[in-house]
Amino acid sequence: MKQLFSKEKWKYAFYTVSHPVDGYYEIRHRERGSVPIAILLVVLFSISFSINRISASFIVNDVDPLNVNLLTELIAVLLLYLLFCVGNWSITCLMNGEGRLKDIAIALGYAMIPMIVCMNIGTIFSHAVAEGEGAFYVMIIGIGIAYGVFMMLVGVMEVHNYTLGKTLITIFLTFIAIFIIIFIVLLVMDLINQVYGFFYSIYQELIFRA
Amino acid sequence: MKTKNLIKRTAAALLAAAVLLLAPVEAVQAEELPYDTYNYNYREDIVITPAAYVPNGSVTGLSVGTTDFKEPQDFCVAPDGLIYVADTGNNRIVVLNHEMTEVVREIAAFDRNGTEDTFNAPYGVCVSENMELYVADSNNRRIVVLTPEGEFIKIVDNPQSEILDDNFDFIPLKVTVDYADRIYAIVKNAFEGILVFESSGDFTGYFGTIEVKITLWEKFWRRLASKEERSKSQLYIPTEFTGIDVDDGGFIYASNIDSEGVQAVRRLNPQGKDVIQKGENGNVGGDIRIGVYGDYSGPSQITDVVYRDKGIYSLLDRRRGRIFTYDKEGNLLYIFGGVGTQEGTFNVPVAIEAIDGEIIVLDAYYGAILRFSETRYGALINEAVGLRFDGDETEAIDKWQEVLRLDANNELANTGIGKAYLTAGDNRLAMEYLELGMNRKYYSIAWKRYRNELLAKNMNIIMSVVVVLIILLVVYKKWRKKKKNGKEGKEVKEVKEGGLI
Repeated sequence: MKQLFSKEKWKYAFYTVSHPVDGYYEIRHRERGSVPIAILLVVLFSISFSINRISASFIVNDVDPLNVNLLTELIAVLLLYLLFCVGNWSITCLMNGEGRLKDIAIALGYAMIPMIVCMNIGTIFSHAVAEGEGAFYVMIIGIGIAYGVFMMLVGVMEVHNYTLGKTLITIFLTFIAIFIIIFIVLLVMDLINQVYGFFYSIYQELIFRA
Repeated sequence: MKTKNLIKRTAAALLAAAVLLLAPVEAVQAEELPYDTYNYNYREDIVITPAAYVPNGSVTGLSVGTTDFKEPQDFCVAPDGLIYVADTGNNRIVVLNHEMTEVVREIAAFDRNGTEDTFNAPYGVCVSENMELYVADSNNRRIVVLTPEGEFIKIVDNPQSEILDDNFDFIPLKVTVDYADRIYAIVKNAFEGILVFESSGDFTGYFGTIEVKITLWEKFWRRLASKEERSKSQLYIPTEFTGIDVDDGGFIYASNIDSEGVQAVRRLNPQGKDVIQKGENGNVGGDIRIGVYGDYSGPSQITDVVYRDKGIYSLLDRRRGRIFTYDKEGNLLYIFGGVGTQEGTFNVPVAIEAIDGEIIVLDAYYGAILRFSETRYGALINEAVGLRFDGDETEAIDKWQEVLRLDANNELANTGIGKAYLTAGDNRLAMEYLELGMNRKYYSIAWKRYRNELLAKNMNIIMSVVVVLIILLVVYKKWRKKKKNGKEGKEVKEVKEGGLI
């Protein structure tokens, strides 16, 4: 654990932000990334996202703070993260991807850094803008998200040793995989529910007869 | 989403009602009200407010000493304070005294140059500033002008113009008169707008035509449809006007039933152009959140409008029996009223008027005038809005503060106070109140001014800090370079050691 959270690893996460291509290459081949840090970053992203929605200035923020629930948003983000990792992993396994599940998780997690930074800067900055100056705020958030998406793309590309075209195709297929996973999960849950219902009714029948 | 929210809100409202019922006597008044009093906030959510108006009895034909009204359709308050009721079903005009306790006179017939003439379903009634009584005598297809005592003056009928169809049927429903004695009449099936007559009785033209809105989707389907299908499909015709009133400046307030619930009232200038202000929500159509199914669903059906005072006007909703009051800028001030059988609720509300701080509504089904008197809450809002209308924003602060004491989340009050502080130059306080009032525009103005103030005041410190920071940065960079040069050999070695695992 100590090793996974070491100063070295943290430093390397930020190195990845400034040098995505090299950074992700070494994550795959030299074990310089850390899954716990990646997950922590995703959690941090979710929290910054919620904080942005709650406390960005009302000049740029249309969200009713009463409708924001930090916990549900955290669960949703983590679930999406898990789904994307698993989906991407299952697709790339079939498409000669070199990355392991661990590498995908790290690639996505580290891509959260620019988003976390920009979300928080944006939240603070939003209190300095007046109406009509909201474009600056949108720009800050936009840069964060754009760079984050770029990092994800590079991450998937480097980790699996793909070309750009193949990366885009796998990402598209990943989304399809996610939908299939969700569909199957729902199906299984429904089936389990029915089986449970069946046995429960048998149990009730027995109880009433006895 | 909106319905879901509505359900949620209703549940919350029911819960609140339950709590109120359980709470001891203090909340008696709110409990006894037969209707909801609420408003919409910046996010268009329903907010329960104190009552602005409470029921104050009703007036029927019997209670004023005559036979009961039969489907009365309109009434009006004359400049001298008397109330003229168009008792449509009984073919008469009943004049009540100012207190609505007794009949002053009944006009059922008039002497028209020697012959006696009567009304046939008088639908609309209006008294001009010059004390002339105008009656929209619908089934006789004419507008009768009388003195208040019932002496015949003139008749306006059978409008002649090229723009009217040959078989045009002139059935006036509502009528109003401006300061120059121009007559504005809402005529059945005249979708082109309000008919305007000169004081002489000559027809001058249509006024305030409502434009038909066709969505892109409807256009697309019409394009696809064959000629035969198109001829069978519904015609796109504008909605009719339902109620009409005139303000001191001669602007006409005309209500109509808007199927989208966005704009149910128009303020028409002398050219017939709509100059209404729609406020923050961009809506002057009554209810913003509406149910999707059930008897009381759908957008509000505004049947009448009354211009009250200082830019304040009220709309009467037929569908849910609610009265919506707006100020000149189109901000919703308060909402009250409801459909029902309890005292103070309507069945078929048809007309609304204002008299001495009371709002009175004519219900055609009950044949009664329902009176609503203003509460302290309503009076304070009216006064504060009036003061703002007159330009006395600083004086309005006290009124708004009191409103806040009764309704702490009132956005209008917070905005009002904020604006007043803004004019007074206290930007910090203005920002505080404007944020509570969720007013982006004025908050931005206050914040910009405050920002400049801050910058001007602290320029010395800011500049010094910047200079110091720059110096520190330069020094640090030099120091780091030196350190790096000294350490370079060692670092390279470290990287080599950390190589492939």
